[in-house]
Amino acid sequence: MKRRDFFKTSIAASAAIVGSSLSAGVTTQPVDGRKISEVAFPEKIPMITYSDRPPLLESTRSAFTKSLTPNDEFFVRWHLPDIPTYIDPDAYTIKIDGLVDRELNISLKSLKHDFEQVEVTAVLQCGGNSRSAFHPVAGGIQWGSGAMGCAKWKGVRLSDILDRAGLKKDAKWIGFNGKEKAAYYESPNFIRELHLEELDDHVILAYEMNGEDLPYLNGYPLRLVIPGYYSDSWVKMMSHITVTNEYKSLFFMDTAYRIPDNDTESETPENRSKTTKPIAKMNVKSVIGYPLNGAKIAHNSQLVVRGVAFDSGLGIKDVLVSVDDGVTWESSLLDNSAGRYAFKAFRFSFKPSGYGKLNIMAKAVNRLGEEQPLAKDVLWNHGGYKYNGIDTVMVEVV
Amino acid sequence: MIKKLIVLTGLVSSTLFAQVKTDVEVPYISYEIKMGKGFDAVNANCLMCHSFGYIINQGPQSRKFWDEKINKMIVHFKAPIEKEAHETVLNYLYKHYGNGKLK
Ligand code: HEC
Repeated sequence: MKRRDFFKTSIAASAAIVGSSLSAGVTTQPVDGRKISEVAFPEKIPMITYSDRPPLLESTRSAFTKSLTPNDEFFVRWHLPDIPTYIDPDAYTIKIDGLVDRELNISLKSLKHDFEQVEVTAVLQCGGNSRSAFHPVAGGIQWGSGAMGCAKWKGVRLSDILDRAGLKKDAKWIGFNGKEKAAYYESPNFIRELHLEELDDHVILAYEMNGEDLPYLNGYPLRLVIPGYYSDSWVKMMSHITVTNEYKSLFFMDTAYRIPDNDTESETPENRSKTTKPIAKMNVKSVIGYPLNGAKIAHNSQLVVRGVAFDSGLGIKDVLVSVDDGVTWESSLLDNSAGRYAFKAFRFSFKPSGYGKLNIMAKAVNRLGEEQPLAKDVLWNHGGYKYNGIDTVMVEVV
Repeated sequence: MIKKLIVLTGLVSSTLFAQVKTDVEVPYISYEIKMGKGFDAVNANCLMCHSFGYIINQGPQSRKFWDEKINKMIVHFKAPIEKEAHETVLNYLYKHYGNGKLK
């Protein structure tokens, strides 16, 4: 594309955002650098805060320079406002019932002593992470890119628990329910149902996060961990597992967290897709943790760009960085130590030789060769799910 | 023997030693709310299930957008909102958090 054309289309794109007759959805870089709250929530440092009830906290960009996200900076997303304010770990049990040979009530203590203890390092990302990139606005929290994090989770395999209970022949669906409750008795509770086939040995019930108890706001004392999948099914404060043979119709399963059921998973605001499917597995994505937008960088100093990349567990092959607006791309160095479901930390070192505004862009590529599109090429969907545009930060070289 | 037992129980419970030992207090945040006609209806109808921050985080929106949100609350979340209150809340939201467009 010629330079002049480029300007033409970008003017058209920004006009479309403010213009009144949108013919198609438009996607841009998500909102960045939102204000951090003055008030810290329990066990957290002050974070970007959208709501206190239910608590909705976003990590800042600077959290994404390393492969593990610290517990006190890890994002928080609850659906319903009524969360128990006290949990007695000595009395907490989880119930397994439905189509099983033996109904179980397992205490936390028994979970930690009577089952094989396993660990998995995995990315937890809200399906609506980066939603503020979509225009017209997609319904839901207008996250920047900090509704994600990566932790080392320790717990017990779900399959070991189901084996101990003994699944009956016609068992098909596993329903998970946490202790979060709606404030109004008629509102639907947040229950997830997953098909048995979706649940492999990597799925665990975790009680530990980065070597500590799960923070209260991240689902203490027990949450589901489904590596590779968006976090809408990682039920927090898990208290009840029910095995059934038929699927119940539940609001959060049937209406929320769904995308157009077509090849490009996209639609336009005027012409919404009639059929939808669950958001399910994560697509390939990367976020730059350093430098921050607007930073001043000394001319010819050695700048080390750092960030994280991930996908659904297929594996990140490369993270390419461009410092010339996407004309040329160079591979960065990857830290491969934490396993296939984890953030791959990347770093890229260079000397900014010019002066003035400089765009730094990062693009992850996975083993299948899937790569991130430019922000403007991410296609619109009404829920604002699965944004994975190439991240760009603009610094000033002085 | 008794002493040993106590030590053992001590050990076991220490593995369950919780980071948080008493009630957790989730802080209240005060959101800047634009006062005006109809706010009472918002207060009475919209803040029982979530904070004001949750409602306005999507930024200024069209009248249709706000109308659909209120409908979503009624249909999906069973919010007990009367027709009259629906209209009052809609007028308030559109006036203070509207983008000037009907659709
Ligand atoms: C009966 C409970 C209840 C009442 C009353 C209620 N809401 Fe909600 N509201 C919810 C739930 C549940 C959600 C979604 C929670 C989630 O998915 O995180 C929600 C989400 C929202 C959202 C976020 C966007 C979205 O689409 O999810 C907006 C905006 C909103 N409500 C506006 C309102 C307004 C305006 C009123 C008053 C007219 C209202 N709500 C009353 C339960 C309620």
